[in-house]
Amino acid sequence: MTAPTQLDTGAGDGGRHQDADETASPRGILHRLGSITALYTVAVFAAEVLFFSLRASDRFLTTNNLILTAQNVAVLTVVACGATFVLITAGVDLSVGSVAILGEVVAAKTIINAGGDGLFDACLGIAAGVAVGWFVGIINGVGVAYLKVPPLIVTLGTMLAGVSAAQIITDGVNVPNRTLGGLGNDRIGGVPYIVLVGLGVVIVTGVLLHFTVFGRHTYAVGSNAEAARRVGINVPGHLVKVYALAGALSGFGGVLSLARFNTTSIGGHQSDPLEAIAASALGGTSVFGGIGTIAGTVVGVWIPGVLRNGIIILGVQPYWQGIIIGLVLVGTVWFDQYRRRAAVGAAGQRPGRKRIAAMRASRLATRRSQSTHPPTTTKQEGEP
Amino acid sequence: MRRTPIRGAAFVGVVGLASLAMFGAGAGASTEPPGTEPAGTEAEGTEAMATEAEGTEPEGTAAELTFPDDLDLNLTFVQGVIGDEFYISMECGVQDAAEEIGGISVDVQGPDAFDATLQNPILDSVIASGPDAILVAPNDVEASAGPLQRAQDEGIQVVLVDTVVNDEAIGASRIASDNFGGGVAAADALAELIGGEGTVMVINVNPGISTTDLRQQGFEEQIATYPDIEYIGTEFSNNEPARAAEIVTATLAANPDLAGIFATNLFSAQGTATGLVQAGVQGDVPVVGFDAGPAQVEQLEAGDVQALVMQKPYDIGYQGVQQAVLAVLGEEVTPEIQTDFVVATADNMEDPEINQWFYKADCDE
Repeated sequence: MTAPTQLDTGAGDGGRHQDADETASPRGILHRLGSITALYTVAVFAAEVLFFSLRASDRFLTTNNLILTAQNVAVLTVVACGATFVLITAGVDLSVGSVAILGEVVAAKTIINAGGDGLFDACLGIAAGVAVGWFVGIINGVGVAYLKVPPLIVTLGTMLAGVSAAQIITDGVNVPNRTLGGLGNDRIGGVPYIVLVGLGVVIVTGVLLHFTVFGRHTYAVGSNAEAARRVGINVPGHLVKVYALAGALSGFGGVLSLARFNTTSIGGHQSDPLEAIAASALGGTSVFGGIGTIAGTVVGVWIPGVLRNGIIILGVQPYWQGIIIGLVLVGTVWFDQYRRRAAVGAAGQRPGRKRIAAMRASRLATRRSQSTHPPTTTKQEGEP
Repeated sequence: MRRTPIRGAAFVGVVGLASLAMFGAGAGASTEPPGTEPAGTEAEGTEAMATEAEGTEPEGTAAELTFPDDLDLNLTFVQGVIGDEFYISMECGVQDAAEEIGGISVDVQGPDAFDATLQNPILDSVIASGPDAILVAPNDVEASAGPLQRAQDEGIQVVLVDTVVNDEAIGASRIASDNFGGGVAAADALAELIGGEGTVMVINVNPGISTTDLRQQGFEEQIATYPDIEYIGTEFSNNEPARAAEIVTATLAANPDLAGIFATNLFSAQGTATGLVQAGVQGDVPVVGFDAGPAQVEQLEAGDVQALVMQKPYDIGYQGVQQAVLAVLGEEVTPEIQTDFVVATADNMEDPEINQWFYKADCDE
């Protein structure tokens, strides 16, 4: 965590960065581990699994049900991993659903135009789907980082334009294609390929976020964009890369969706962006930026996934699902925030008066220069 | 989504066949308004759509109506939503009818989504352009009434296709297929596929959409007439294939003996098929889908669904133009026409009598 440590000297300070300073101390390590594994979210997940197991263990807690659930959440996992990067930069990406649609449409059309069936055509289609997502991601990134349009608006624009583009490409008619069907539904050693693919994406993005310079810069930009700039990070350039990554993963999610359903689904994927954001938030990612983990997001994807599965197995009237998932979402995030505030307060790291004044000044300066990224909001967690 | 208000029971069979028979018998401009019949309480729709014995070709229905040669009419067709094969097929019927009658120029408009707040401004613009007649699939039973009333006030003939408005003073003619009857047809098709016994469920889109709600109601009432079939309820896919797949896998975990599924729209059926493939029971659990766009037909070919309940959008559009022209000419119109259903299965889908009703993504195909 060298970059954030440098940041602390460059600009105002917050409780979180002091945690980073203390990485070497036992408490710091515990704290970091806690945030990495999003322990409280895991507890909610465990409670949920326990509840359904007690009520319907013979039907719920079976290997097959577990595998099927994993298969059901695989596509959202891929999309949500990208959304987590964006949220950590204090941005938001509403276009993930549209990009998924665009990805599946471009993949299907590419495969069909390439002639159809071989492995090469399939790979070409996958690459095309990912590439179009990457391209839209770059548009998002440029809009946010260089044109200084708020992420909500830029990605709202590409959300609208993305579906339009998919409709133009297909004349508004869904394209059936079964070339990727094996990827979506076949199994190897009892495990569906798509689950392994999802797992692969989790590992790659997890390593990227937690163990590389790219990941550290992502946290830095989201914590305090101005500070990141001052220590020499190319903030706009990095934002473009993050949005491009999220776009590429959304496009890939669309390809996987095509593989599962054997046809594009223009008109579907409507809830993807909100589900991806919900999963990240459930997993402890702060919508104010600077905080978040891939492992947490994975758990955040599973919580509603298992809930939907268990509710049907228990035979709960379907109308209740939204209320239950909504309550769990808000409750989990509230508890997570509460825990963070408590942790910062208990560690005696409340900043003194002078320090608060300095922070405010720095925040003002930052806001003037970087209005699209309210960079210091998370730091208010450190205040009394 | 297409919405229709709650109609009585399924009088699709009676009325649909009555109107078709009238045309078939060369009755000229029909005099009997079938729509005025009280809605029957029994679900007569079943026999009507089980087999398409009428032999009505898409082109056949208009031949007996005679129209003047010197027409010069402007007609605008406002779709319920653009890019939907159901409405594209309807547009094909509109275009073909206009061409065959002659002297009619057709303009086609429609909103990006099935939403009256998007469609109403389009209707206002269409009214401002002053066509002789508007064929419209209104997006809302109440919200769409205002602009359509204005159109009628300005002397424009309004014909409602597929969906309607509550105000019965609007629309010289109303032409639709009955979704309740479609649900009944689906129940019969599914019952046949599972041999009349077993556990069945419905995967619907969202509660509150009148078309799919009616399909569900029709299915529920009809499936209850089979003593050995247990109906375990409806789940909602939110129009997401991924959600439908989740529902199917979870339901199979809870009810391993699930025998059959009625999926009320394309994405529900798509996700249902994927869920069954995931669980390794595809083919063992038959699926009945609704509508017959290219994607659904592909599902039928691939064995993802075992039967499709089809409406006749082409027919609705074709007859809509006929009624609109009659209205403009001041001749007697048929106030209400119900078109019927066709059930396509893997066995009969090669039959031209059946596959002529597959929806089109493009009129030139």
